[in-house]
Parts: sequence; C-alpha cells; structure tokens
Amino acid sequence: MKELIDRVFLLNRATGRFEDADLYHGLDSTNLAHIEGRWRPLFELRRREAKASLQTLAEVNAEDAHWEWGKKALVALDDPFLFDFFVLECGGSTQAIMMTRKGGQDCFSRHPEHQRVPLIYVEFLATAPWNRPKLVAEPIYKGAGRVLVGTAVSLSLEEEFGGRIGLHSLPGAEVFYRDAIGMTDLGADSEGVHKGLRYFELSSRDAATFLSVQH
Amino acid sequence: MKRTMTLNLSDAEMSVLETMCEEKGLSKTALVRQALRLYKSVDDRLARGEKVFVESADKSEKVELMVL
Repeated sequence: MKELIDRVFLLNRATGRFEDADLYHGLDSTNLAHIEGRWRPLFELRRREAKASLQTLAEVNAEDAHWEWGKKALVALDDPFLFDFFVLECGGSTQAIMMTRKGGQDCFSRHPEHQRVPLIYVEFLATAPWNRPKLVAEPIYKGAGRVLVGTAVSLSLEEEFGGRIGLHSLPGAEVFYRDAIGMTDLGADSEGVHKGLRYFELSSRDAATFLSVQH
Repeated sequence: MKRTMTLNLSDAEMSVLETMCEEKGLSKTALVRQALRLYKSVDDRLARGEKVFVESADKSEKVELMVL
C-alpha cells in the first residue's frame, strides 16, 4: 500500500540534531491511525483554546483540523490514475501528508510565464500539528512541509511538467507558500470550489531555483 | 511500477504525435499519458450524465463534444 521512495532529514528543534525521515509513496492504516489518534486530539485541544481566547483557526494555523484524510485516501485509492499520496514519517510518527493530482481540472498553469501548460496540483498538504510554530509553543520537526513540496516538484519533473506545481492555500499557510517556498501568488478565485482561496503556483523557473537551494 | 508497451501508429498518426510533442515540449510517453488523462476525465463526466461543450473564441458558437 505504500512504498519507500527516499530517506531525508528533518531538524529536531528540541535537540538541534537532524533525524532520518522516511518518505513514502502511498499510505497505510498506520498513517491514518496516527492522524486520528495523535493529530486530531491536539488539533481539537487547540481549536477549543483558540475559541476561548477569541483567536481564529488561521491565527493558530489549524484551519485544516477538520480534514478527513481517511475519506481522501479512499478517493485516491479509487483513482490512482489521477491521484498520488505521499507521507513523511520520522520519530515513529507521521510528520506530514500530501495528496496530489496529475490530470484533469486544476492541472493547467495560470502563471504568466507559461499559461495552460500542465502541472501537478497539490490537492491537500498538512504537517503534524506538533510541528507548527503558531499551533504549539515548542514545535518539534522543521522542514516537513518543505520536503513534501519538494516531492510534488519531483513528481512534476518525472511527469515532464518542468517542476511546475499549483495549489490553493488556506489563509494561514499563505505566508509559507509565498515567502518560504517562493511560489507566485496569482490571487483569490472568484468562483468555483476554491472560491475565496488564493491560488499559488511554482513556475518552471522557480522550481529550478527551489531545487538548487540547499534546504 | 511502470510497464512498457509497443504502439503501432500510421505515418500520419506518428507525424501528429511528433508535432504535438515538439509543440508541448513533452516526450511521446508524457504526451500519451496526458492524452489518456484528458480522455478519461471527459469520459468520466459523460458517464455521470454530464455534457462537455466547446465554445468558439467569440462565443457565437457552442457545440457539444462527442467522444467514443
């Protein structure tokens, strides 16, 4: 159900040391159990705290707390022709998860440098709540989200899409995609299923820059 | 896992394939993959009872796309 495709490193902020992390194509019941049994209780705790202190979910970077990864996995398993799943494991837990689409709607560039050429669309990407600086006081692993963005870029290269990727960001993650990854902000959708969400794209040129930087 | 197949095309079909590969900057494998995904996404919509239309640039004409 899942296949090891790479071994990468994540910085453990607590120890200051890099740890081995396993990157998988696909996912299994263990990953879903981690999300339901470990991610969700922390999300729920922070959601209640945010509500009590009149903070929005965007302010505590927990807007995706309600995502049902089990249902998303079923969709992807039902149509492997279009969808791929990737998970990153480190320290005995699932540290990040991503679902991508490689054909159909949303898989065409809006970037002015190469409009309408194909790209990999990142349907959903999430890191474990304990890795999020705004969600916990002492986040553990740094770089999990970036590893999965890099994985989407690699998939795009493998598909001969020039490293191009696109996605709609939740408000709380816009700064990450714009400033940390270097994606181009192409504005909010005015209609459709992503109405109100800003669309970001990594052009072929920016993908090359992203891959050339030492992370 | 990737599997390999041999595809027999006429000269005309191969010419179209090669021209499109050059225009799109894709290999033959990538172009066939993309074509298959497009075909399937349209076919899935038609199977759900939806219709796919093609509109002229000036929007004066709109025709329903028919596929096999």
